[in-house]
Amino acid sequence: MGGHNFKTVVAFEYLRTVTKRRFWVMSLSVPLLLALVFALTSASARTSSTSQTTTAFGFTYHDASGLVTPALGKAFGGTPTDDPSAAVAAVRSGASTAFFDIPADVGSAPVQVYGQDVGIIANGRYDAVARALVEAAVKQKIGDPRLATLAASGAATSATIYQNGATVSGIGSIVLPGAFLVLFYLSIVMLGQQMLNVTLEEKQNRVSEMILTTMSPTTLIVGKVVALIGIGITQAVVFGVPILIARLSAPTLVHIPGLSWSDITPDPFRIAVGFVVFVFSFGMFAGMLVAIGAVMPTIRDASGAFSAVVITMFIPAYAIQMVVNEPHALLPTVFTYFPLTAPVTALVRNAMGTLAWWEAVIVVVMLGVVATIMLRVGVRLFQVGSISYGSRVNIRQALRQAR
Amino acid sequence: MAAIIEVRDFAMRFGPLTVLDDLSFDVVEGETFGLLGANGSGKTTTIRALLGIYEPSGGQLLVEGRRFHPSQSARLGYLPEERGLYAKESVIDVMAYFGRLKGLSKRDAVTWSQRYLERVGLPDKARVRLDKLSGGEQQKVQVGVTIMNDPAILILDEPTKGFDPVTRRLLLDLLDEQKARGSSIVFISHQMDEVERLCDRILLLKDGRAEAYGTIPDVQDKYGGRRIRLEFTGDLPASDRYDPVVHERNYAELDFRDDVEPNDVLRDLLAAGVQVRSYDVTRISMEEVFLRVYGAEAAKEA
Repeated sequence: MGGHNFKTVVAFEYLRTVTKRRFWVMSLSVPLLLALVFALTSASARTSSTSQTTTAFGFTYHDASGLVTPALGKAFGGTPTDDPSAAVAAVRSGASTAFFDIPADVGSAPVQVYGQDVGIIANGRYDAVARALVEAAVKQKIGDPRLATLAASGAATSATIYQNGATVSGIGSIVLPGAFLVLFYLSIVMLGQQMLNVTLEEKQNRVSEMILTTMSPTTLIVGKVVALIGIGITQAVVFGVPILIARLSAPTLVHIPGLSWSDITPDPFRIAVGFVVFVFSFGMFAGMLVAIGAVMPTIRDASGAFSAVVITMFIPAYAIQMVVNEPHALLPTVFTYFPLTAPVTALVRNAMGTLAWWEAVIVVVMLGVVATIMLRVGVRLFQVGSISYGSRVNIRQALRQAR
Repeated sequence: MAAIIEVRDFAMRFGPLTVLDDLSFDVVEGETFGLLGANGSGKTTTIRALLGIYEPSGGQLLVEGRRFHPSQSARLGYLPEERGLYAKESVIDVMAYFGRLKGLSKRDAVTWSQRYLERVGLPDKARVRLDKLSGGEQQKVQVGVTIMNDPAILILDEPTKGFDPVTRRLLLDLLDEQKARGSSIVFISHQMDEVERLCDRILLLKDGRAEAYGTIPDVQDKYGGRRIRLEFTGDLPASDRYDPVVHERNYAELDFRDDVEPNDVLRDLLAAGVQVRSYDVTRISMEEVFLRVYGAEAAKEA
C-alpha cells in the first residue's frame, strides 16, 4: 500500500496544480510575454532599419575624404557642398533637412551628422543614411566584393587550445554543464515557494494527522517533492516548446550571440557531475524547506527563513568573477566545500572546467550526505511539527518525539 | 472477545515533563470505548502514540496485534481533534483522495462520496471548493472522509466538538450504524451524556495515569454508587441516612450511605409526612463522576 499511496500523493499533488487555471495563466504568461517582446523588438528593429535607410530625404554633404563619388552621393539623395558652416546653419534654420560632414580620415574621426528633429526614434535615420553612404563608398573604392566583406566584418578564426597535451574545449563546452546551474536557479525561484506552501499546507489546514495515519511522512514528503519536480518539468516544457518552435521556424530569432549550435560540445563527465550536483543540491534544498515548514507555524514565519536560505545559496553569485577567474583562491574554495554555497559554486566551476575530478567527488559525496541528513531531519520534524498547530516547534524535542 | 487495541505500560515524556505513565488498557472487538479526562490529561497524546505519530517513551501500543503501520489505515477511521481538509480543493477531489489513501479504487471512492453527499444533503456541492462550504457542511465532509472505508476501528477525538446539532446528530447516527456493523470505536469526549449513551467501557485519565477503568456502572459505583431522584411535596427532613446533593422546591437528589437501603430512606420520608410523587434509584451520572474526580473547577475548564 506504501507504493500505492506514494503514487496517489504524486498524482493528487501534481494534478491539483496543473488542472488549475491559475497555473496555466502563470506558466503561459512568461513565454507569451517573451514572445510578444521578441516580436515587437524584431518588428520594430526591422521597420526602423528599413525605414531609416530607405526613407527618402534630401541632404547636403561635405566629403573631405574623397570617398563619395558625385554619382553615389546623388543616388543617396545628397547634394555636395564646399561650405560646412553654411550647411550647418541651413539645417539649424530649417532651410535644409540634413548635412553630413565626412572627415578626411573616416577610420579615425566620426562623420558629423546634422539634421532636423523628426522624433527621438526617427532621428536615427540620419545616422543610418550617413553610415550607409560611407559604407557604399568604401565598397565601391575596394572594388572586390570579398575584400569589401572582409573589411566590413573582419577575418574569421578557428582556435585549438591545448592543456597538458589535450585539446581544451571552447566556450561551447560550458553550455550543457552550465545548463544545470540555470536549472537549479529556476528550480529554486519557481518551485521553492511552492514547496514551502505544500509543506505548510497540511499544518495550516489541520489535515496532517489524518494524512499521517494513511502513510509515512517520508512517503508524503517524497511524493510531494516528486510531484513538484513534475510540475517544474511541465513548466519547463511550457517555456521551452515556444522557444523550440521559434528556433525551428525562425532560426535567426533565437540564437546565443557569438555562439552557433554546432559549437556546443558535450563533455560527458562534466554533464554527469552537473546532473548529480544538481540532484543532490535540490534534495538538500527540499530537505531544508521541509524542516523550515515543519518548524514554523505559518507561511509568513517560514518565508523569512526561506529567504535567508536562498540568499545564502546564491552568495557565490556575488563573487562570480573570482569563482571563474581564480577558482582555487581561498574564497571560492570555501564556497565549494560549504554545503549551502557548494551548489552554485560547484556548478559554476564544473561548467567552466575548473572543478578537478577529485574536487567533484568530494562535493558530490558531501552534498549527497547533507541532502540525505536534511531530508531525514526534515521528515522527522515534519512528523511532529506538522501537528504543532500555531506554535513554533522545539527542534530537539520534536526529533525525539518522532517515530 | 479479542482485544483489537492493546496498550501496555505506556509512558510518554516531553523533556522533563511526564504526560503519561504506566498506562495499560484494552479495547475489545465491537465495543465502544470511552477515553476520558480533563484537558492535558494525555488522551490525544495516547491516540497519537497509538497511531505512530509520536514515539512512546516506554511501553507497547498495539493495533490488531502489532505496532500501528499506515498499511492498516484501510481498516481505520480517525477523526482527530484538530481537523480540517484541503481547503482549496473540491469536495469530491478531497474525498476521492482520502478514499484512495484508504485503499479504495478511485471509482469506488467517487461513487461512495456521491452517495454520501446525497445522504447528508450536499449532492450539489461535490465540485465546490471546501473553503466555500459552511462550517457545518465541512464537518459533514470530514465525517464522510472518516468512515468512507467502512473501518473496523474508529477513533474519534472530541468528535462532536464544534459540530452544529444537525451534524452531531448525523455523526451519532453513523456511529450507531458502524457499531451495528461490528466496528470497534474509541471515543474521546467531554460530553458525558454522549459517553453514557454510547460507551460500553471507559478509561478515565488523571495526572497521566488511569484513574478509573471498566464498564460505566462499575465506574459509577466506584465514585458514589447509587442516588435517589425524588419528586415530592412537603419539607424534606434532615437525616444522617442521606445527603441531599440537589435540593429544589419539589425535586431532590439524595446520595445515601452504602449501608442504607433505599427503602429505608423512602420509609423515613413518608414517616416525616413528605408526599412522594416519584421515586427512582439510579447511579450517579458520568458528569458527576467527572466532577468528583477532577473537582468542579477542573471539570468546568474541561
